[in-house]
Amino acid sequence: MFLSPEVYKKFEDIVGEENICGDLAIMPSYHSGQIGAVVLPKDTEQVQAIVKLCNRLNIQFTVMSTGFIRAAMPQGCIYLDMRRMNKIIEINEKDMYAVVEPYVTSAELQAELMKRGLNCSIKGSGAQCTAIIRGHGHMDLSTGGDDRNQLGMEWVTPAGDVLKLGALGSTHEWFCGDGPGPSLRGVISGRGSGDALAEGGVITKAAMKLYHWPGPAAFELEGQSPNYNLKEIPPNFMVRYYSFPSVPQMYEAELKIGESEIMFALMGFNVAMLSANISPNMEMELEVIEKLNKEVQGPGFYVIVAANSPEEFEYDQKVLDKIISDTGGKSLAMVEDPKVGALVLIHGVRISVSIRETFRLRPVGGKAYGFQIMGQRDVNIKWIDEAANRKKELIKKGLGADDGGVYFGWSVENSHLGKTEIFFDPSPHPESLDAIIDWQQTTARKALEDHLNPPTHLPLSVVGPEVSNYHIWSKKLDEAFNPNGTTVVLPSLMG
Amino acid sequence: MSIKDYRGDVEKCCRCSCCKFIPLQKVKGSKYSYACPSIAKYNFNAYSGGGRLLSMYSMLKGEMDYSEKLKEITYNCNMCGACGVSCNYAMDMQVNEPISEFRVESVKDGQTHPALEKVIEGLRKTNSMVPVKGKRGDWAAGLNLKNAAQEQVDVLFHVGCKTSFDPKMHKLAQATAKILQKAGVNFGIAGDVEVCCGGRAYQMGYEEDARSQAKKNMALIKKAGVKTVVTGCADGYQAFKVLYDKFGVKGDLEVLHISEYIDMLMKEGKLKLTQKVNMTVTYHDPCNLGRKGESYKHWKGVRKPGNRFMFDPPKDYRRGEHGVYQPPRDVLASIPGLTLSEMTRIKEYAWCCGSGGGVSESNPEFAMWTGKERIEEALSTGAEAIVTTCPWCEKNFKEAIMASGSKLKVYDIVELVEKAI
Repeated sequence: MFLSPEVYKKFEDIVGEENICGDLAIMPSYHSGQIGAVVLPKDTEQVQAIVKLCNRLNIQFTVMSTGFIRAAMPQGCIYLDMRRMNKIIEINEKDMYAVVEPYVTSAELQAELMKRGLNCSIKGSGAQCTAIIRGHGHMDLSTGGDDRNQLGMEWVTPAGDVLKLGALGSTHEWFCGDGPGPSLRGVISGRGSGDALAEGGVITKAAMKLYHWPGPAAFELEGQSPNYNLKEIPPNFMVRYYSFPSVPQMYEAELKIGESEIMFALMGFNVAMLSANISPNMEMELEVIEKLNKEVQGPGFYVIVAANSPEEFEYDQKVLDKIISDTGGKSLAMVEDPKVGALVLIHGVRISVSIRETFRLRPVGGKAYGFQIMGQRDVNIKWIDEAANRKKELIKKGLGADDGGVYFGWSVENSHLGKTEIFFDPSPHPESLDAIIDWQQTTARKALEDHLNPPTHLPLSVVGPEVSNYHIWSKKLDEAFNPNGTTVVLPSLMG
Repeated sequence: MSIKDYRGDVEKCCRCSCCKFIPLQKVKGSKYSYACPSIAKYNFNAYSGGGRLLSMYSMLKGEMDYSEKLKEITYNCNMCGACGVSCNYAMDMQVNEPISEFRVESVKDGQTHPALEKVIEGLRKTNSMVPVKGKRGDWAAGLNLKNAAQEQVDVLFHVGCKTSFDPKMHKLAQATAKILQKAGVNFGIAGDVEVCCGGRAYQMGYEEDARSQAKKNMALIKKAGVKTVVTGCADGYQAFKVLYDKFGVKGDLEVLHISEYIDMLMKEGKLKLTQKVNMTVTYHDPCNLGRKGESYKHWKGVRKPGNRFMFDPPKDYRRGEHGVYQPPRDVLASIPGLTLSEMTRIKEYAWCCGSGGGVSESNPEFAMWTGKERIEEALSTGAEAIVTTCPWCEKNFKEAIMASGSKLKVYDIVELVEKAI
């Protein structure tokens, strides 16, 4: 045990004997490194008491809910596992928000919402992740993404104060993240690449924005795992995958679809990711990729039309047909098959999960090298296109696994914003890993030089001067909110 | 095998947490979304399927060794396999196999649990996983059944330890015998020479004892010359069908669970259910009949070069897809007057009854907690009874019902079929 018995007892007194463990045997299941103890708080009061104790004893702490991927932890830190805070506190249908604790998953929340004709944003890390995570997902076109969906919040600061943010700060309502009341949106969830839980302090309750859901109260499924599928695509729903002769044509179609406001979801999967979602195993996935590669004419995306009435559906289809025709798009025959379309639909809406597409083919812990960038869609497409070209050069030299140089991305909030990502796996070549890390750095520096995006793969001291001395302001915020340096921010751990 | 053989699988875990929940498409709300009893009860990540793999990975890297806490975590697992189903929806890797192998290796390394040691000592002495009261064949007194060890029969009915030695469970074997007689099946029992299948011993980590039981059973079957074994117990079914195949001793023996066999007899017109059983029931899929009951898949090959975790020839993972799910439901649907009201967690993602993996012996409180969770879920369907197809489930449910003060009834499927013929 890393903590002294006296210190351990102080934490135990807060959460109870059963809800603290400092035994080495549980540590590898969390993270590498010697954690002082894992604690399982049950409510805000316990979280606050833990954080205050950490400050008093000068012990670092960090927090995780559902979690994803392991990272090294500072020795002796206190790890708040939020598993016991798993309640949906309120679903406000009138004002369209849901208040949840950190261990409510998106799958649980969405299932409750669909019964009420509502939907929420589900992040790309998957529906098994916490519903309050900041991030992007497959329904971003209509649900928005990132911190847009975080409304009122209850936040235990790194120093142990409980702050009520947004409308909650001046009323008992959760409907707005920015007031009336203090808005610290940029402070707690807008900085860097960390997520809403770990950016500093602990979010103990959050209201998430809700959206209209035109579909059934629950999807009717058939088959057994891993071959679940919808019995049928619901009325007024349609799924298609369109490929385009060029990136500009694809983006033109994205923009027009967004501006016409006809679409429920648009996800710029490459064929590999499409294949992963519709294939129950790796062998089939690779076969399907090969088949699809012969059929597509270039980059593409899938769309889900979800209309409220047959008339609206007919209108949406007509507009879509016109846009696709004007931009040279071509529908993938395989996805026109209702069974395949249904698979894309259930994955896009209910699972929204990166596991098949991101982790199934990767051998160790899902470790992926690459980038994710968010911002003006045309700009981040340009950046990622350049990254892809550099990636292809390395693939030709055998310095990276051959996936054709693919990347993927999608429109957010009807198309002017967007998210783009690219992964690159090492090949067996002994210099591959170094080459890929160099590729990351080069691409990041290029993004900075060309003013495309503040990259996350360079030190803040390098990026900061290019973006209004952000590094200085960030340091000041740290000093203000995290005076004792007790919060440890887990990097990109997806909740 | 050893856990070293699963290094590629355990290091592949991306700690996504899917193993903790039922498959995401099946989540119906904030209730009944959890798949794994162990993490649901104990909360620390080490108790989850992924957490177990990551602990193994740490041991394989030499970063961790056995400890009392690790042992406590190891044995507080029902070995129900739900984590594997949820993981294997998306991932191509073995989950349940390394978890099971870790138990086996723990036992080999002397990291045993005293309560399980006691059970296995009993098995070695008496060929039974439960305390022996009377003789194995006592339940058959007066039924005039054939002794398969002495007479030629087409089908051997393997009764199992729990049903044989727990007088409260004798009715299950008796009902089964009556059903088979009614259908005109030429069947027999091994009576006093029947021995434990070894399935639960394997779940507890005692592979050698399980192999020993497998040899004894297969010798008996060979001597009797039967081609088909029907089990009344889900653990027995899994042992004969899956484990014996894994051990390489099953040969071409046909293994059927009684629910499958009744379904088959009905569809062949040899059994008709005519009497009304006016009741609304829910059905509990035992882990060993469902997700763990699908056939063993033999594989021999090599990992392909490159950075993908792929094999030549490809591995066909056991994902729980081909368990016995529909036959018991078809049987229930054939009982006049009976209505089936399903729970949220069913088939390959059913919640465990709680009694598996030696937990009912090593940590009865955890077994009871798991059972109570299931009873609550059963009650939420509006059913007046929960039907199962395994005496171990039945026992645990009855104890959970008694402890929670519920009025829910528990039946084995053969009891309802007996009422209906």
